Amino acid sequence: MLKLAAKRFVSMILIMVTVSFALFVLFEHDKLAVAGKVLGPYSSEQQRLIWLDENGYDAPFVARYAEWLGELVQGDFGTSIELNVPVADVLWPRLGNTAILAAVVFAVMVPLSLMLGVLAGLREASFRDRTISIISVITTSVPEFASATLLTAVFVFWLGWLPGTSAMSAGFRWAEVILPAAVLVIYDFGYVTRMTRAAMIDVMTSDYVRTAILKGLPYQRVVFRHALRNALIAPFTVIVLQMNWLLSGVIIVEVFFAYKGFGKLLLDAALFGDIYVIEACTLIAVLVAVVSQFISDVGYMVLNPRIRFDKVRA
Amino acid sequence: MAKRKMGHEAQGRAHPAVPVLHADLLNGKISRREFLRTATLLGIAAPVAYAMSGAIGTGGFTGRAHAATAKAGGVLRVSMEVHELTDPARFAWSPQANLVRHMCEYLTITGADNVTRPYLAERWAPSDDLKTWTFYLRKGVKWHNGDDFNADDVVFNLTRWLDPATGSSNIGLFAAMTSGDKDNRRMTSGAVEKVDDHTVRLHLNSPVLSIPENFYNYPTMIVHRDFDGDLSKKPNGTGPFILSEYAVGEKAILKRVPGAYWGGDVFLDEIHYYDHGSASTAQLAALASGQVDMTFDFDMPSLELAASLPNTTVYEAITAQTGCMRMRITEKPFDDRRVRRAITLAADNTAYSAQVFRGRGLLGENHHIAPIHPEYAALPKLERDIAEAKALIVDAGYPDGLDISIDVGNTDGPWQQHSCEILKQQLAPAGIRLSLNVMPPAKYWDVWNKAPFGLTAWTHRPLGTMVLSLAYRSGVPWNETAYANPAFDAALTDAESQIDVGDRKAKMAAVQSIIQDDAVMVQPVWLPKFFLAHQKVRNLEAHPTQYHQFNKVWIDT
Repeated sequence: MLKLAAKRFVSMILIMVTVSFALFVLFEHDKLAVAGKVLGPYSSEQQRLIWLDENGYDAPFVARYAEWLGELVQGDFGTSIELNVPVADVLWPRLGNTAILAAVVFAVMVPLSLMLGVLAGLREASFRDRTISIISVITTSVPEFASATLLTAVFVFWLGWLPGTSAMSAGFRWAEVILPAAVLVIYDFGYVTRMTRAAMIDVMTSDYVRTAILKGLPYQRVVFRHALRNALIAPFTVIVLQMNWLLSGVIIVEVFFAYKGFGKLLLDAALFGDIYVIEACTLIAVLVAVVSQFISDVGYMVLNPRIRFDKVRA
Repeated sequence: MAKRKMGHEAQGRAHPAVPVLHADLLNGKISRREFLRTATLLGIAAPVAYAMSGAIGTGGFTGRAHAATAKAGGVLRVSMEVHELTDPARFAWSPQANLVRHMCEYLTITGADNVTRPYLAERWAPSDDLKTWTFYLRKGVKWHNGDDFNADDVVFNLTRWLDPATGSSNIGLFAAMTSGDKDNRRMTSGAVEKVDDHTVRLHLNSPVLSIPENFYNYPTMIVHRDFDGDLSKKPNGTGPFILSEYAVGEKAILKRVPGAYWGGDVFLDEIHYYDHGSASTAQLAALASGQVDMTFDFDMPSLELAASLPNTTVYEAITAQTGCMRMRITEKPFDDRRVRRAITLAADNTAYSAQVFRGRGLLGENHHIAPIHPEYAALPKLERDIAEAKALIVDAGYPDGLDISIDVGNTDGPWQQHSCEILKQQLAPAGIRLSLNVMPPAKYWDVWNKAPFGLTAWTHRPLGTMVLSLAYRSGVPWNETAYANPAFDAALTDAESQIDVGDRKAKMAAVQSIIQDDAVMVQPVWLPKFFLAHQKVRNLEAHPTQYHQFNKVWIDT
């Protein structure tokens, strides 16, 4: 297990270095374009050359990359062109905001979807199963912007119960988390519910569960002691991978509700061409992806001791 | 040093054109608004001009006191994008200036009535030939750091603006104070003169009437003479508020500066700007749920929603804001006037107001002068001519038709893309196949002055000559079309020097005709603009430039 974890860790580092190099090539191979972004469209070529000289851009490409990588490791991502502040000053608070939203979504979505998935999977094709399945398919099919509009129309404009935006302008307020979290839960819980249901059906029709029931074990004990653990393996992977989506894929919700999160920061940077913020956000998003994959792999092994990736590969 | 007074001023009389203007007003040759605008530009105080016009003056943008009913105290919360606020001279967005306008001030101020009044300048006096302007600065105005506001501040700002290294668009506005070719245009030596501590004199190469109005263009706010290049880090101004908290993309808090304000009563304690993005839906949702008291603006599709919100008022301004589907005349195929003419001939400008703005907005005529501009000259109506457009395309060497693309960034909303789609349909019968290159708003600002064909949104300016000077005079920084026509430049300079409204309109007819005939743009409509505010916010006005000035605004609790 430790050997596998170490291997995974090394591969994570390699992925990060590869992605960082690709990013650097993509955004910084054209030095004049970088200077143009920083100094603005009215800058002359002479001004750009002076800026490049003053900021160490006369060094060879590989040396510049090595220096940039070294600064990244120390948490220095440069200065945002659009916001005119160090990238780290805005990146970590925004990531923190998104993490709060993701935590709320997880806290609601995971128990809800597991419970509904198990309930549906216990009795395949029953009325309960069909009802849960239909609701899951419908909610997952509705795009986030549509449910956001609907919820805003009802709870902001009609009933007046909830704040319309979630910018936290007057400090953190739980009320401002409700609508964006609700939209994300509605969009995501159906997917996890469907995965849990499928796994539960698979387990409940397996030989060992049938044997346990035929042996006369109480049904509840069969479900909770024998079926559930195996049924949760597939949903576990899905749930862990949702972490990646919640941290970097909730742009629509953050923009709609003016939530100052990581997704909104990345979108604004992409629209503005703020290369240093794009570089930092991309690396963070990739890091979250590989870490969540790592957690998923390790967790998979813990939940199912029969699985050993090194043996499978051999 | 004794003050050296100019011509008519030395003789203690008004500019010689003022009695003529007054006679024209009495004879019905010019409107009251035209009289007010021109008389105030020539140095007549607004109350005097109002009195001469036979009307009771309102006091305008700064003077709307309503002292009897106004209530002091309270916080005004506004939903508006919070951009970076480094250097006012390089501002490119109205929201930047809206925020700073409560802290840093201008020499003049143009009200929602399009009349320009004294502000940091107590008064001004042009010479008879309009080539020398003397500005008398208000005494007793203090910077927030305790320094006196004086002529050094004004000289410092003008010198900065007209230094190309600053990168300010003001260099185009004050082109008559610059010299050099288009790659090296800078301030003419001696163009700004400090007469004494509170008097500054401008020496122009050519006559210009709009100098006072130029001083209220949004990047012309006066910063302290020791300004070191970043206002957000060292806030200092002469206004009644000072920046207290600021986070780009999030919020900006302005707090009332303790002590008396030179401009009289100020009612609000604080002004809060919250950034909810540019989407109308977010801004309206924030207002509907009581998170803010007013929005910066909202788009046409949101009008019904805004009008349906209880206890709110929709403010609408008739503006000279517009979108120009402009061609860069140095880029192929737009370097061929026949191609450009074919495009403008195939376009039907009358369709846009109905299809995009539900019949609101005034008709554009491809010369960027609006009917609400005082110098607007009515030209013959534009006629669509598909046959002529087709013939021009063939003549230009495209017998099988022409494929072109237009860049559109929706920088001011989706109406821009809708307009391009209408143009695409209109050009098709003439054999011009237009494709749309839709890009993110900020991406468009990367290419707005380079794109061969693109739709650029332009804000309102009180005088038509101001925008022509900024955008179409040879070599100015914001000349996105690369238009360079000496005849146009000369005609524009000539028009700018005319005091008589009738004469100026006649000159503008030539200016408008030249640029319209050169087919630089399809400019189909002048935009209506809206914002929404809670009814408790009192003494608000819809300014055609969407400028905020809340010195006399109050909250009715």
